[in-house]
Amino acid sequence: MRRVFSEEQLDCLQELINVAMGLASNKLARFLSTFVYLQVPSIALVSSAQVSPQFDNQYSGVDSALVSQGFLGNDGLTGEAIVLYQLDNAHRIATLLGYETDSASELEMLTDISSILTTTFLNSLAEQIDNSLSYSAPRVLSSRQENVAEALLDTVCHWDLALKVDISYQLIDHSFNCDMLLLIPGEAVLTIQQILVRILEEC
Amino acid sequence: MSDNWFTSPVLEQLNSGVLVVDEQFQLVYLNTFLQRHATVQLDEVKGKSLFKVFADVPEAWLRRKFASVLELQSPSFSSWEQRQYVIKLPHMRPFTSASPFMAQNCTMLPLNDSAGRRHVCLLIEDATDAFVYQQRLQSTLQKLEYSNRIDGLTQCLNRRYWEEQLKLEVQRAQRYQQPLSLLLFDLDKFKQLNDQYGHLGGDSVLIELSARIRALLRDTDWFGRYGGEEFGIVLTNTALEGALDVAQRLCLAVSSIAVIFKEYSIQSTISVGVAQLNIMGERAHEVLIGQADVALYNAKRNGRNRVVAFSAGETEFLLKTTE
Repeated sequence: MRRVFSEEQLDCLQELINVAMGLASNKLARFLSTFVYLQVPSIALVSSAQVSPQFDNQYSGVDSALVSQGFLGNDGLTGEAIVLYQLDNAHRIATLLGYETDSASELEMLTDISSILTTTFLNSLAEQIDNSLSYSAPRVLSSRQENVAEALLDTVCHWDLALKVDISYQLIDHSFNCDMLLLIPGEAVLTIQQILVRILEEC
Repeated sequence: MSDNWFTSPVLEQLNSGVLVVDEQFQLVYLNTFLQRHATVQLDEVKGKSLFKVFADVPEAWLRRKFASVLELQSPSFSSWEQRQYVIKLPHMRPFTSASPFMAQNCTMLPLNDSAGRRHVCLLIEDATDAFVYQQRLQSTLQKLEYSNRIDGLTQCLNRRYWEEQLKLEVQRAQRYQQPLSLLLFDLDKFKQLNDQYGHLGGDSVLIELSARIRALLRDTDWFGRYGGEEFGIVLTNTALEGALDVAQRLCLAVSSIAVIFKEYSIQSTISVGVAQLNIMGERAHEVLIGQADVALYNAKRNGRNRVVAFSAGETEFLLKTTE
């Protein structure tokens, strides 16, 4: 990772992401009227081959779903956010979103919660770096799939390098959790680097 | 903005719906696309509640969606794949789509006016084309699945699918300890018949007899074409005695009525081998086929047009043939 980012830049990026996370979880907690527990997001530069093994343990042998949502901002800032769920959790989402159980399908609720998690976090991040983002509609990539790691491998196309941010969400009161995988492809990583340089100069 | 001259006409010509409501869900704006599709005039509905003007929108759901847009100031989405439409509207393919309603991809965006009042903009994209393609794909897949397991000539199950079902039924019978029997039958002297009446004559006999036999079977039996003129029937929950009964009836149904082909009346018979499942293990279905085949061979050797059951004494011969 040091080959691309300096240590100072890396610290700065981690700080930006932590703050965005804090802002987003605050908004989320108020909106969902529940306590949102977040671990400190981890950042890594990866190749596509490294994406799926990490989810192998956590999601092997359980019904799960993947939802993807793309984003695009100024200066070529772009990427894709993938949210992973265990479907055991899914029925708890309805109460969380305040839906009548029969008024929305499980998948619809999953795309809703994905969109909320993704956009609140990314909007908070964009705000801090003076950017603004537009979003594609969230898409269900796969569901009821036994092996998420395999599905991810099938889905994630091959690129040499991407910036990966892992965020794990836990809603304690509802025993609901899911993972968000933020992937920013090679060229957009350079955009982020330029942003970091600018921010560090302003400090 | 100096470019304002075109935003309004473009908005009116857009092939997507644009609707804006305030925080009280009162309509502020509808573009031409929506006014025309919903047959309403903006002047008449402006200031009225969205839920009054479009009475069949899912109110609780939409309120919740709009609340998230307003509170989180972030967009929300709805896809036709999960919810065909948010506002029930006709589409522009009244003759070529199976559903009368427009399939919609919707985006809900936060929008604030110059005074800082919060609004929600609902963008409605017509996804009817995608919906139609998806439906066509589904029906094609269904047809493909059907043709993938049916023998084109006789409309029986094809060998691959029939064998799969045999294997499953054998496993099921073993698990629930239910009897299961297998009939293998062969059209007698089919080669002669082909020589005499031509292949079309032979084919028409196969078609007619399969239909006649199918009519005598239960829904739970599996009737498949095993080879050229050889067929198999899996009789679920049936012991040897019952299976012999069925086999006799099939024999009679074939021999008693001739098949009419052009000016000919073609007399034909079948020989049937019958075996009941009596062993366990993963290869039991293969052994069962072998046993019924031995019985069929004996029916042929004993003079055709008859039913022969497999008997255990022939196991030695059987082992030689299956190895």
